[in-house]
Amino acid sequence: MNTHISRRRFLQAAMGASAFALTVSQTPHLLASDTTMTTGMPPILRFTADGRAVLCVPVPDMGQGMATTAAQIIADELDMALEHVTVELMPFRGVIDDNGKADWGHLPQGAGGSQSTMTAWLPLRQTAAYARSLLIDAAVREMSAPKVDLTTRGARVINKKTGTQITYAKLASKVRADADPNYAGMPLKAKAEHTTVGTDQRNVAGPDIVTGKPIYGIDQEVSGMVHAAIRRCPHLRGGLVSHNGAQVAAMPGVLDIVEMPRLPADPDERRLAAAGVAVIAKSYWTARKAADALEIEWDGTYGQMTDSTHFRTIGMEALDSAEMDETVREGDVAAALRDAAHTLEATYSHPNWAHTCMEPHNCIADVKADGVEIWVGHQFMDVAINAAAEATGLPADKVKGHFYRMGTAFGRKYEKDFVQEACYLSQKLKKPVKVTWSREDEIEQDYYNHMAFYRVRGGVNPDGKLDAMHVRAAADGRFSSATQEIPCGLVENYLGEWTLLPSAISTGAWRGPGSNVRAWVTLSFLDEMARVAGRDPLDFMLDLFRSKASVEMKNWPNLTLDLSRHVAALEKVAEASGYRMPTPAGHGRGVAVFQTHHSLCAHVVEVAMTGEKDFRVVKVTSAIDCGLPVNPLGIRAQVESGIIDGLCAAKYGNVVFEKGVPATNNFDTYRKLRMAEAPLDIDVHILDFGDDTPRGTGETSLPPFIPALTNALYVASGKRVRRLPISEAL
Amino acid sequence: MASISFTINGQAQQFDGDEDMPLLWHLREEVGLKGTKFGCGIGQCGACTVHVDGEAMRSCSLPMAALDGASVTTIEGLSGGDKLHPVQEAWLEEDVPQCGYCQAGQIMATAALLKTNPNPSDDDINDGVTNICRCGTYFRIRKAIKRAAAKMQEA
Repeated sequence: MNTHISRRRFLQAAMGASAFALTVSQTPHLLASDTTMTTGMPPILRFTADGRAVLCVPVPDMGQGMATTAAQIIADELDMALEHVTVELMPFRGVIDDNGKADWGHLPQGAGGSQSTMTAWLPLRQTAAYARSLLIDAAVREMSAPKVDLTTRGARVINKKTGTQITYAKLASKVRADADPNYAGMPLKAKAEHTTVGTDQRNVAGPDIVTGKPIYGIDQEVSGMVHAAIRRCPHLRGGLVSHNGAQVAAMPGVLDIVEMPRLPADPDERRLAAAGVAVIAKSYWTARKAADALEIEWDGTYGQMTDSTHFRTIGMEALDSAEMDETVREGDVAAALRDAAHTLEATYSHPNWAHTCMEPHNCIADVKADGVEIWVGHQFMDVAINAAAEATGLPADKVKGHFYRMGTAFGRKYEKDFVQEACYLSQKLKKPVKVTWSREDEIEQDYYNHMAFYRVRGGVNPDGKLDAMHVRAAADGRFSSATQEIPCGLVENYLGEWTLLPSAISTGAWRGPGSNVRAWVTLSFLDEMARVAGRDPLDFMLDLFRSKASVEMKNWPNLTLDLSRHVAALEKVAEASGYRMPTPAGHGRGVAVFQTHHSLCAHVVEVAMTGEKDFRVVKVTSAIDCGLPVNPLGIRAQVESGIIDGLCAAKYGNVVFEKGVPATNNFDTYRKLRMAEAPLDIDVHILDFGDDTPRGTGETSLPPFIPALTNALYVASGKRVRRLPISEAL
Repeated sequence: MASISFTINGQAQQFDGDEDMPLLWHLREEVGLKGTKFGCGIGQCGACTVHVDGEAMRSCSLPMAALDGASVTTIEGLSGGDKLHPVQEAWLEEDVPQCGYCQAGQIMATAALLKTNPNPSDDDINDGVTNICRCGTYFRIRKAIKRAAAKMQEA
């Protein structure tokens, strides 16, 4: 796991493209040869003029807690405490590759695929160990003491013999990176020596957050900047025909009207930016008010066949009769189904979900002839820098990025459109421009979670074992992953088939891409098969995961999974939830376990029906295996977050399209979960298998939550939810 | 156009601009108080919650015209000094914030609720704090509200 993963390859995988291998560019020599680290203190630690320590973390924080986790990793290796330090986001310290693109350097500077903790773990510790060494060397000179007598504790170098000590703050300016050419391979702390790693740490941004400090991209201002409010074409991949911009230009405070081109111009290509009309003014409110007064004629012909009702028709037709691409074929499904003691066929479907990032997208750009600066909250620093370079035609090394905390991102703030719009406008207007999106545009112009239809058939043999499964899927994006998901690999006779449905919708990464819905389809179907076979679903799942020692994931990241962890996670949640104890009338418990990316999570969900068609989640009992837990408090936060996000999406998530236009575009029509519907109790158990490296948590708990929920609803109500959203299915 | 007189965090203000402007944008763009957040613009999410004469209001949907004589408190003025408000303290102690973007609004909604209902039941909390949190921190928010209520009763 100690690898630097090529970001571009990761993104291909996260977007549902083919599997990839990890590339290793992480060697001890890199530290010594990294030019950014040879001029003094490495970029993870600096001191203010008055001697306060600032830990600089490489990965942007969108709420997943990386600022805190990365600070813990640094502090631990440097023998510092987090209580008295400030934490800030490090500027981009990557490289320009042979193709002229910005890419990460020694440290990961993007957040996706729940990989930040695992990819930052080794390079951050190496860098911190290197910094500690430099501080000790400086102390050798300052104290005239032999190195062997010196140790570090509490942000000080201490002479073990004499007890004299010097603070890091005093030593920082004395650090000489060229003192020893043999820094490569600095010894790292052993697992037993961790002090901060493994302890509960509260969000380091908490004090700024609860007092309303301007720490998000949307809070930034630049001298001389103007604001843009853009009316974007609501028709999927539509175009601009005409508008009354000349009249709106005369409204008070309006500085300019600018037509925004659809990028790329060819609507057959995945959308980069929507066609639109931008109103420029000295304040956002002035620009917004004028933009709302624009009368615009759009060309909506391209996407008008994309319609939720029509989509259901063609989706079901595809399941019935389309010739699909085969993804997996093992054994003989037809024969096994014929010979099975029990069989079942079920049709599942789910609509598109929007991200609804809490902070609407925004970016400031200042494009000059010889360079561009951007101020933005973005998941990937290199993507944002490359987007600015592409939009302006300037080389990537002429882009300076200022990055900020994000008010959630969920995969949406990996995209480029909001950066490119600001760059386009600033280049045209020759001044700094801030683009702020409306909520309506944030939903209408989303890269949605994909929509899909599934027909699943299964057979259980006379011994009660699942030995045939056939999954056909038709989706509006390249998401064939549901047709090759576990139990594929555990079922002797298996057939997976997939086809792409024609659509003008742009899909993208949404928390747990692919996993978020395929976990539901596969684990709900397993629950159904257990019932058909007259088995308890927990026992049925335990038997399945005990049937082999390991299984290879056919989906990214293609790990060989030790199935004893699936079993342990199921047993943990079963025991902790009292799964086998009776429930009150109208209650029901459901169970599920799923590997999302590099980590594993199981849940038992208990629901209570609150009427014919509504329910309340009473309790969720969860077990997560995410390797070495760096911040247990933060891990529990992410598990809670995934549960509530999953409940919200499964119960209400439904972007409706009418003739190529999203009909749901704000929180009045795209309903979100609120306090009254949140689970009353969440009990999270962090599993310890003795791993000495961490893995991800941000996306892990959401996918298995949805099947555990619908499995519980089946027990409580007798109704099997095979179509999301649940609010329309019960 | 008559001038509008009101206060923000105890400071007297005069406003002579566009009376249609929502208080949210006046705070963010003209006064420079960025703690009040833009979330939806239609009064649904509550990220823009402030106190107007002590009551929680969604400032994105409150035009400046409605503010004559009003007393406005934002997250920046909640504590009224260096010491945090008990609700802010409880938020930190329960480690509520993840991304944090909605939390100023959640805190303002909670502070207003506890002023009129110092010991809210779960149902009171459901009815009184209806802001959206996309990180799904509701589980910890509920705990923090109860913790804040206990702190304020002790004080």
